[in-house]
Amino acid sequence: MPMHPPSVPADPVPRAAPGRRRLLASTAAGFGWLAARALLAAGADGDAAAPWRGPARAKRVIFMFMKGGPSQVDTFDYKPRLQADDGKELPFAKPRVQFAPTGNLLGSPWKFARHGASGIHVSELFPHVARHVDDICFLNSCHGTNSAHGGAVLKLHTGSDTFVRPSMGAWVNYGLGTDNADLPGFLTISPTLAHGGLNNWNSAFLPARYQGVPMGVASRPATEARVKFMGNPRYGAAVQRRQLDLLAGLDRAAGLPPDPQLEARLESFELAFRMQATMPGLQDIAGETAETLALYGLDDPRTENFGRQCLMARRFAEAGVRFVQVTHSDAKVQWDQHGDLLAGHTEKASEVDRPIAGLLTDLKRRGLLDDTLVVWGGEFGRTPVAQGKDGRDHNPDGYTMWMAGGGVKGGQRYGATDEYGYYAVDRRMHIHDVHATMLWLLGIDHEKLTWRHAGRDFRLTDVAGEVHHGVLA
Amino acid sequence: MRRALLLGRAVVFCLAAAVVVGGGLAAADDPAPASAAFFSQRVAPLLESHCAACHGAEKQEGGLRLDGLAGLSAGGATGAAIVPGSAAESLLVVAVSRVDDALAMPPEGKLAEADVAAIRAWIDAGAPHPDGPLTVPVPVPPFDPAEKRRFWSLTPPQRPRPPAVRDAALVATPIDAFVVARLDEAGIVPAAIADPATLLRRASLVLTGLPPTPDEVDAFLADPAADAWDKAVERLLASPRYGEHQARHWLDVVRYADSNGLDENIAHGNAWRYRDWVIAAFNRDEPFDAFLRAHLAGDLLVTEGMDEARRAELLTATGFLAMGPKVLAEGDQEKLLADIVDEQIDTVGKAFLGLSFGCARCHDHKFDPVSQADYYALAGVFKSTTTMESLARIAKWHENDVATAAERAALAAGQERVAAHQRSIDALLAETRTALAAAAQSGVQGGAQTGGETGGDTGAAAPPPGEIPEERFPEDVRARLAALREELKGLEAALPAPATAMGVREGTPEEARVALRGSHLAPGRRVPRGVPAVLEIDRPLAVPAAGSGRRELADWLVDPRHPLTARVFVNRVWRWHFGRGIVPTPDNFGFQGEAPTNQPLLDWLACEFVASGWSVKHLHRLILASRVWRSSSDPAASPTRDLAEAVDPAAERLWRFPLRRLEAESVRDATLAVSGLLDTTMGGSMLHVANRAFLFDHTSIDGTKYDSPRRSIYLPVIRNHIHDAFWLFDCTDGAVPNGDRGSSTVASQALYLLNSEFEIGCAEALAERALAAAPADRALVPTILWRRVLGRHPTAAEARLALDGAAAIEAALADEGVAEEARRKRAWAAVAQALLAGNEFLFVR
Repeated sequence: MPMHPPSVPADPVPRAAPGRRRLLASTAAGFGWLAARALLAAGADGDAAAPWRGPARAKRVIFMFMKGGPSQVDTFDYKPRLQADDGKELPFAKPRVQFAPTGNLLGSPWKFARHGASGIHVSELFPHVARHVDDICFLNSCHGTNSAHGGAVLKLHTGSDTFVRPSMGAWVNYGLGTDNADLPGFLTISPTLAHGGLNNWNSAFLPARYQGVPMGVASRPATEARVKFMGNPRYGAAVQRRQLDLLAGLDRAAGLPPDPQLEARLESFELAFRMQATMPGLQDIAGETAETLALYGLDDPRTENFGRQCLMARRFAEAGVRFVQVTHSDAKVQWDQHGDLLAGHTEKASEVDRPIAGLLTDLKRRGLLDDTLVVWGGEFGRTPVAQGKDGRDHNPDGYTMWMAGGGVKGGQRYGATDEYGYYAVDRRMHIHDVHATMLWLLGIDHEKLTWRHAGRDFRLTDVAGEVHHGVLA
Repeated sequence: MRRALLLGRAVVFCLAAAVVVGGGLAAADDPAPASAAFFSQRVAPLLESHCAACHGAEKQEGGLRLDGLAGLSAGGATGAAIVPGSAAESLLVVAVSRVDDALAMPPEGKLAEADVAAIRAWIDAGAPHPDGPLTVPVPVPPFDPAEKRRFWSLTPPQRPRPPAVRDAALVATPIDAFVVARLDEAGIVPAAIADPATLLRRASLVLTGLPPTPDEVDAFLADPAADAWDKAVERLLASPRYGEHQARHWLDVVRYADSNGLDENIAHGNAWRYRDWVIAAFNRDEPFDAFLRAHLAGDLLVTEGMDEARRAELLTATGFLAMGPKVLAEGDQEKLLADIVDEQIDTVGKAFLGLSFGCARCHDHKFDPVSQADYYALAGVFKSTTTMESLARIAKWHENDVATAAERAALAAGQERVAAHQRSIDALLAETRTALAAAAQSGVQGGAQTGGETGGDTGAAAPPPGEIPEERFPEDVRARLAALREELKGLEAALPAPATAMGVREGTPEEARVALRGSHLAPGRRVPRGVPAVLEIDRPLAVPAAGSGRRELADWLVDPRHPLTARVFVNRVWRWHFGRGIVPTPDNFGFQGEAPTNQPLLDWLACEFVASGWSVKHLHRLILASRVWRSSSDPAASPTRDLAEAVDPAAERLWRFPLRRLEAESVRDATLAVSGLLDTTMGGSMLHVANRAFLFDHTSIDGTKYDSPRRSIYLPVIRNHIHDAFWLFDCTDGAVPNGDRGSSTVASQALYLLNSEFEIGCAEALAERALAAAPADRALVPTILWRRVLGRHPTAAEARLALDGAAAIEAALADEGVAEEARRKRAWAAVAQALLAGNEFLFVR
């Protein structure tokens, strides 16, 4: 496995005083030093000298999850042969295990055109995102192993479709530590409860503090997305302040023996109180200009929901949250067009195209895109062959995700599927490779970011994963 | 990775070509496959042109050479390349037929189908070679079991003699002798015994998961008898709450859940039967060996004429094997089966043996003496067992019929009522139609109109009697029909659900094949069913040809000479008492687990446990009688505090009782209990959806309901979506066995304790009770609160803090514009909530 290449300049962060950095980070997080050391066996979290840390291109991640599996051949993986051979038989074998029976080749109902200086083809489904192709690296050769939603969603989020493992956001949170002690390090906005639910943002065997904090749920509008228990339904801040003072006084008066756990609990209430004061301000988008709101599509009911998620994501990323996930999902079938591809994908794309482009524009003009890694994708793609007369089945064997920003070489298509867009064939990127590359951009060596559990060192990438250096700027 | 990268393309584009050229095997005058000439003419050239570059004289990738008899015989690092007579078990065939990406050869692309067929035919014919017969070496075990058996946990425990200690006054039971002897070595004197109120609280929390009531505290403190402590312990062991709390610990170990989780989160609608059985088993102190045997082989222990309740329990117990998370939408059914067997092996290994076998699915275990063959010996037992009813998406697990005669009779009676009711509806329909038809007939004959519903029609257009639509029925008949049909619906709804329980049954006995790199697509040689060689007691497990081997597996586990079973279980119980096992990794007694901190103690407990007839309550009594268990948690209670804190700050050697936070369920149950809201109803299902129905589908609509005041163990465990409070307080979601929950401190716990409706609701109920009990005297309120919540009186300073705090909060509420009459109650609720969120309430000390 290739390590970080020697051409990369030496770590700019001084490694001389890890202990002090660690101490400060821990104290800022609200824990006494001893308490933190006793409670957080990790020790090295937030420590630039942690054994897995190297030079970073990005400081944080915004992951845009398109639930249901958007079609690569109708969006970012242009296949002229597919258009030409519409209706013909697939000239090679279909996978051994398929989700549903499929028929002949189905050309894309959308036109593709070249965009940007790079001249990358994008379909009419994404006219706004198309303007950003020069900042985007399209990973056209993604592949996974599971053709059902549940397994594939879990694989994408945790690297495993058969075991409960920490979410990639939890790994990032553990690997980089917090950048803002008053906020969770990993937020997931309007997550889906299906297909793994909690386990898609859980910390599994990693300490609980690394788990994702959910805001709302996919079946409810993003206007209702709140962190649960953030804010009191009965008491105002003044009352609660007095209540906390009383709590602290009673804990001291009870005369329990000094113990790091008890000290940490005391601190955790103060941290909670500060979080509670910080979060509403970050969620409140009232201060954003009309121009910004329009940029994210908040002026249009179609794009309002996902636009709000994207705007919140920018605000959280800006405030120091390490990993923010937004989910394009709802109580319907999302991108899962087994039938009526035309109507379904038209509707889904129209809901996200402007918000995604808006987020990229906004990050860029604020100078945040340089160190924010934006990742886009679903749990798999769709077959170039038809299911029924006008649908596409799940396709984990070749599909497209994309990355932009922090350290990514934009304006390129990386890897390729075959001439119909069915199988990834060139520079194939397994989901483990996507994870490895994402971690590399964050300055994390995926083979060294480990956690000892049940007698073994576990990784996000299991025993696989390869950093694809061609993706990097 | 790189290799796979090339292969993907190759697979795709070669398949079509292969179909075209895959014609006849060989021309008529070619040599027969069972001849050395066939090898020379047909097979050797293939090996030479496609394989020799990497597996020849120059290079031997993977340790494999295919250019001569010696190499063909020896195979490579991953095993025998050729098993003469069995192409299916030959890795060479696995590789060239490219069924599995993990081993697909040659790298440049698939051989022609006819060539693959030739290799197959030659091997099936015995692989005759011009230089002589292939002598495939018998696989060598990767280690010597006899040598590995010397590892501490693989040697059967011998009952040690309690050691002598410096101060005999510190020894109340043999447990103390083992602990104090270790402390003597460090010069540490253990902490004095804690005060009685603290001890009663600790015992109540540890045994039942609930704090004592003020009355229980008063009675205990007032009891002057010498055996007051023993009586208190017996009272707690006899409480139904004991079984509920201990069962909750066990459910962690067996990854109990009321939903599948993973990909298709559908309801385990009958898992509760297993849970209720576990509660009952703890409460009546079912011997652990019987308890364990039921888990693995309950269905095989059912005998003719057995008490039907016991029969139902035994069939329910094997739900243990069936409850694991499964990829129910897995399209590859063989993989699904292999994954289910894997999960069962993993769970049995961790739960009962404290060993993780999972690694050996793909290769010999890197750390533990478990070979891949050992794994597939166990896999054979579970492959010979039926867990699934159907593998078609969405796959269905098997359920055993556990109905008692009374339940069956009730169901039959209900069904008969439904049938009878249906018959009366049918009769009414027929009768009405006949009457209407007759009336129409007479109308036609008489040439007169009969009027009413059937009137107006000509005779010729009248439908046959059976088809007369109900719209033509007289009004009163239609009303009667509607009423009858409504009643029928009620009867159908009232039908008892068939009593079934998740569980396994015997399948078709088979020996499992060692899968190359764990891939079910690359099956290798078969291994006889059995247990890991290193754990064999005297001889290999004798599995009868006709059975799965589960019964033998269970008997082996409870053999008193088994080195692990008793040790692993007593260590769990110790962990439940002290928060940390004698082996600190309760699910891992292998080479990568932590060593026991006091092996003689562990071994003594294990031997005593088995000698007592595997009585769990006996084990509790032993531990609770010890001075170690009764020691104070305050470091100041040790005369050698400074030394002890320096040497052992976390009290791992138990020089004092280690402090720990309550587990999630106890946080909730204790809060409900002291607020007077706890409903102690036992048993039954609280799932709000039918068996096998979705808890969560693609809609993400959250229909889970946790709004019940019953004990936490009865709330459904929904994998992927456990109760908020449980998730926040480190509860497991039952996806994997977990005998060692974490105990985290995170800000979101504080948010929950401060802001959740649950905590606020409990605090309000608590404050209301306290205010109602002291309507006149506000100064009494803290006393009532402290007694209920903490089982003691407040100190003067605490009472002052509470009264001042309540006043300050009342003032702040006034500023917020809260009406005067509501302020007092709210302020005291805020005080009560602070008490419920405090350390003393939430910690076992």
